[in-house]
Amino acid sequence: MASQENTIFSSYQRDPSLFDELYDDKGEVKRIYKTLFNLYGAHSIEDYMRLNEKAKSSFFNQGITFQVYGDKDTQEKIFPFDLFPRIIDPEEWEVIEKGAIQRSRALNLFLWDIYHEKKILKQGIVPLELISSSENYLHQMMDVDPPGGIYNHISGTDIIKHKDGKYYVLEDNIRCPSGVSYVISNRTALKRALFGVFNHYEAHTVTNYAENLLDLLETVKPKGVDSPNTVVITPGMYNSAFYEHSYLAKTMGVELVEGRDLYVENDFVYMRTIKGPEKVDIIYRRIDDQFMDPLEFRADSALGVPGLFTAYKKGNVTLANAPGTGVADDKAVYTYMPEIIKYYLDETPILNNVHTYHCSRPEELAYVMDHIPELVVKPVDEAGGYGISIGNKLTKEEIETVKKQIKSNPRKYVAQPIMSLSVHPTYIDETNSFEQRHVDLRTFTILGKEREFVLKGGLTRVALRRGNLVVNSSQGGGSKDTWVLKQ
Amino acid sequence: MSLEYKITYHAENQYENPVKEARWQFLIIPHEEEGQKVTATHFENSLDFPYEESTNAYGFRTLRILAKSEFERIEFKASFTVLKTAVNPFDFDLPLDPPEDLKRYQTLDFKVEHEPFLRKTPLTTLLEEHAKFFEYRGDKTVFENLVDLNQWVYEKIFYTPGVTHVNTTLDEIVENRHGVCQDFAHLFAAVARQFGIPCRYVSGYLHQGNGYFGDSQMHAWTEAYLLDVGWVGFDPTNNILASENHIKVAHGKDYSDCAPLKGILYSRGGNTTSHSVQVLGQQQQ
Repeated sequence: MASQENTIFSSYQRDPSLFDELYDDKGEVKRIYKTLFNLYGAHSIEDYMRLNEKAKSSFFNQGITFQVYGDKDTQEKIFPFDLFPRIIDPEEWEVIEKGAIQRSRALNLFLWDIYHEKKILKQGIVPLELISSSENYLHQMMDVDPPGGIYNHISGTDIIKHKDGKYYVLEDNIRCPSGVSYVISNRTALKRALFGVFNHYEAHTVTNYAENLLDLLETVKPKGVDSPNTVVITPGMYNSAFYEHSYLAKTMGVELVEGRDLYVENDFVYMRTIKGPEKVDIIYRRIDDQFMDPLEFRADSALGVPGLFTAYKKGNVTLANAPGTGVADDKAVYTYMPEIIKYYLDETPILNNVHTYHCSRPEELAYVMDHIPELVVKPVDEAGGYGISIGNKLTKEEIETVKKQIKSNPRKYVAQPIMSLSVHPTYIDETNSFEQRHVDLRTFTILGKEREFVLKGGLTRVALRRGNLVVNSSQGGGSKDTWVLKQ
Repeated sequence: MSLEYKITYHAENQYENPVKEARWQFLIIPHEEEGQKVTATHFENSLDFPYEESTNAYGFRTLRILAKSEFERIEFKASFTVLKTAVNPFDFDLPLDPPEDLKRYQTLDFKVEHEPFLRKTPLTTLLEEHAKFFEYRGDKTVFENLVDLNQWVYEKIFYTPGVTHVNTTLDEIVENRHGVCQDFAHLFAAVARQFGIPCRYVSGYLHQGNGYFGDSQMHAWTEAYLLDVGWVGFDPTNNILASENHIKVAHGKDYSDCAPLKGILYSRGGNTTSHSVQVLGQQQQ
């Protein structure tokens, strides 16, 4: 079957200035995609429309939904799922995996240092001002030793492939990175819709995430505990990622709790159950630092557990991720990752960092002010794609507004060259055809005591609007099943 | 010479609607430190709820109560006996080289080490134009400047209870010139930190004179870090250095690290709270 006659992709238009994951420069389908391309080509577009509808309803029926904050329409949405999977070959994956582990390890050492000896700050390698001005740098965590020495148990590393064909890290998410449940439900949905394609490829499983999470969390149990009792704490069912919290609890076989289900007595944490109190040793927390314990942080928080922080500080409970981890999640800290990796591991970064301009530095600020149309401007402390301005999409007035915003608080902004995210053929409802759409990849790394795990797969997020570069689900993105092939 | 103090802390909370569940944390136990020893503590509440001892995030002793049955009114009473050694707060040598003095506070090592107490917190943020009202004199030592600052704050604010609340900004206080001891302490800390001198907020009790009766509140002052000396207490509300009359409970970056009472309630409607503190002193032989 000649690829050019393939019906389903015949209307696919390639923009040669973009890096296409399916086609090479010469317009040939890449080797690892060939079988898949032919298999999909055997279907008609009508088959596709039907399968697509089926996949959608499967997500609704499973209750895999999310909500967008600040949206007037409070209806739950499904995270659109695309039936054409992304394939990553073993060699490429090895680089990603090693790179993700390297970053997580380096960040963990960085966190230990800035909450203990603070050597990297005293030597001026990372500016003190950058850390001290961060709301997430918790004075409460000074000299606290987290169980097993781990701060960022779970990291979500956002990676893109640029038009040069190389992977770049855009962000290290180490507060409460979400999305892993979608990785698993995407795999399930694809298997339901197109089971046959899995006979032709040997992809690593992604359903082993929960068991590895539980295993690795147990390696950092509090001292003196034999068989730890683990729970997942959620802000509740109105949280945008509630499905994921319940999914993780269910698949780990542990309780899903809210703040009021727990209480602290004599600096130990207990869960109220119908059989009476049960001691809790490890908490996988999906509540932000400031809401965790109203006695130490925000007093108006009804989501947390009064006294939890002291229990943690005394080593009686493990919190994952550790409080205060968010300081290293700051986008301004990201820009020092090459230095951080070199300093703690004496290694060169395996994954590239995107060059970043700090608006806090006068000469870089001046450059940013003059080059807004070529840059992406980001607030350093927002997650979920909020507050991002993409220079070449802005009108003159919008550019002036962005400049004003930066000027009023330069420390709050960083700018990066506009990266060209690679594109992947994505089925588009409105045109009933495949079109190029930008994709990124969020990988999930778990750190335990002397052990780590990277989920072989990840969340490939798709910017569904044509030309859009922001892939976050809160900004109208979708996702794809992601296959990491075995050797 | 030592002094013995009997301190009584009293709080009364009245709730509009029945409270089903509550947890309180008190940060009111005098701190054990050099020259200050707690010889007796007693704690009770009108509903006989059990209490436990713990520490806050900074290691200061706390008392916690967990209420498990419904109530509308509760009274707490704590009493402490504290032994203090009389000290001369001026008992240290001043550096010989005043103009260079402040420079030693500007090394990166020093700034990193004392970062938490050099931070601008929401309660110690002051517009630069307001901080400039105090003139730092290069021909004086850091200590002498802090003594001047103590006086400047003392003269800047008129002690007036009931005008400010927890959310009043320091800039509003500087403009309106009325406040209570917390505000004096925050202003002192904000200005000292702007000059790069680490400063912490201190919460505690003040003995206002032998045989002094009548109700009072908890007191607040500051401690500034002096190289070669350590932490030295300044009480800008009274324009004095902290002495044996100051009985420290806790320190932190600002009031929010040191609130004497925090409560988490599961109830609706308002409540009224009243606190009182009594400090009785007696000279010991």
